[in-house]
Amino acid sequence: MYKEAIRGPLILGDKSFRQISADIIQPIDKRPPLWWKAAFGLSLAMLAMGAWAIYRTIFFGIGTWGVNNTVGWGWAIINFVWWIGIGHAGTAFSIFLLVLRQKWRTSINRAAEAMTVFAVMAAALFPALHMGRIWNFFFIFPYPNTRGPLWVNFNSPLFWDFVAITAYLLISVSFWYYGMVPDFATIRDRAKSKIKKAVYGVLAFGWTGSTKEWLRYENLSYVLGGIAAVLVVSVHSIVATDFAVSVIPGWHTTIFPPYFVVGAIFSGFAMVMTLMVIIRKIYKFQEYITDNHMDAIARILIFISLIMASSYLTEILIAWYSGNEYELFTFFHNRITGEYKFMFWAMITCNAIIPQLFWSKKIRRNLWAMFTISVIINIGMWYERFNIVVTSLANDYLPSSWTNYSPTLEEIGIFVGTIGLFIAGILLFFKYIPMMAINELKSVRDSGSKFRKKIEQMKIKEEDLI
Amino acid sequence: MKNKHVIGVFDKEENLVNAINALNDHKISIEEIYTPYPVHEAIHGLGQKSRFTWVAFFLGLVGAIVVLAFLYYTSVIDWPLNFGGKPSSAFPSFIIITIVTTILIITIGSLFTFSVRAGIYPGKEAILPDERSTDDKFVMMFRQEDDSEQLRKILQENGVEEINEKEL
Repeated sequence: MYKEAIRGPLILGDKSFRQISADIIQPIDKRPPLWWKAAFGLSLAMLAMGAWAIYRTIFFGIGTWGVNNTVGWGWAIINFVWWIGIGHAGTAFSIFLLVLRQKWRTSINRAAEAMTVFAVMAAALFPALHMGRIWNFFFIFPYPNTRGPLWVNFNSPLFWDFVAITAYLLISVSFWYYGMVPDFATIRDRAKSKIKKAVYGVLAFGWTGSTKEWLRYENLSYVLGGIAAVLVVSVHSIVATDFAVSVIPGWHTTIFPPYFVVGAIFSGFAMVMTLMVIIRKIYKFQEYITDNHMDAIARILIFISLIMASSYLTEILIAWYSGNEYELFTFFHNRITGEYKFMFWAMITCNAIIPQLFWSKKIRRNLWAMFTISVIINIGMWYERFNIVVTSLANDYLPSSWTNYSPTLEEIGIFVGTIGLFIAGILLFFKYIPMMAINELKSVRDSGSKFRKKIEQMKIKEEDLI
Repeated sequence: MKNKHVIGVFDKEENLVNAINALNDHKISIEEIYTPYPVHEAIHGLGQKSRFTWVAFFLGLVGAIVVLAFLYYTSVIDWPLNFGGKPSSAFPSFIIITIVTTILIITIGSLFTFSVRAGIYPGKEAILPDERSTDDKFVMMFRQEDDSEQLRKILQENGVEEINEKEL
């Protein structure tokens, strides 16, 4: 539990409510700075490359990709799992901490949810393109049709995945949006320009902040939070069953669903840390994203990194202990020592070893170190997915069909395009949406002093609490 | 139709809460309170209650039954497919879709319920007694017929900043 009395207040420097609104809204009122325009231009260029790659994929087909009969899943699935993983933390962060009444989420949840929305959008692109004939995409909807009526296969994890991702995207977007409604009202009532007043007035849905609205608003967020917590766990478990129900060595393991969920939360939290360092540095929000906030994220990362390390070891141990020769081959000859050994060792180094640096308090207070480690974790998580997808497929049961896999420019282009989409989305978020939940910040402003008062009343010394 | 209202503007949450308690003791009814963030004392002080969680529960119950019935109808009655001789009524593998779709139904249903019950929907015009209440002020609104010397005295005693009258 995060106790302000012990770990420092959530908002530094006695701020008035007016000051809090002004601080958070200030990037919206200003013209975008030069770095913003440059970064936005770069992200549009990346998006253009993605558009070219998607054009090639749709007009000439999956043949433009490097995938083949043996390695049927390549970069598209790796990137899909990678993005969906990043997309997990936003909701995981925001919702688990909401349900557990962890107040330190307030300055971070909005950005984490924004990240989720854009990451899930990027992820959803890959399976859609991988269908090959994207114009027949609607065949996956279960509706009465002229094909029989032939329904979709409700027993297939691939269909579960479609349902889960659609639901996850819709729920993340609505949770994010409804969280912003009171803040849009604040912008509306503070705005001086007529256009801004009108635009944010429409976005605010007529919010007034009456008790009637707040009561239902809080109920809504707890209901959505409670049920979406189930979804966070189920979405990535379903992605894992895409692999686990197959009979491919290295995939067919019961550890997959929890292993994937933990991995997803790991990469997502790392991305939250990357974003928080950027927001704190560029917008000088160190009074809202305090050293203690960063410290708390770093501690969670160490914990998850240890779970990741034990999952890797469990997989290897079970491969050996089961005595199954195909599993033994995949893990020991294919992953640890084979052609793709670089990917395996990169995964171990980036995900299990480097994050252990967070045990040092010096590193947990150093923004550059945190930024670098968080980016390294996400690179490591990408290698993990490469390791899972490609090494299991490239050398399977039939040595005559063994082959190598390397991506083509089209596959790289789509990945670059999704990164562009993500960056562009985050930049628009920086410019047009309050980066932190203003109303929630106001509600926790005094929580530290309230807590201290309560302790004084109960005549407990603060030291005794530790 | 526009009515006149008495409006008390507070600067501090503490003062607002004290005023609510004092007014409740004197049985003076408050029409509505506007705050920049949820103040639970204000919500309880007005006696606001909500059956929101029940709505969500019933949405979930109905949603789960509808989805399971749909899956049974499509996979068992309408077009059973033979997957390696396995039974068409594969109940365990229906569960995942049922959970996820039920969550989606609860979400959409609760958003709709919230919109209706709290009166928050696209295109609605916000009518605020005081525009600063979404920023840093706590605003209490009274009906004109409840206006009295006593009311104003209680507000003054509890550190009200301004008392205004406004037609809304």
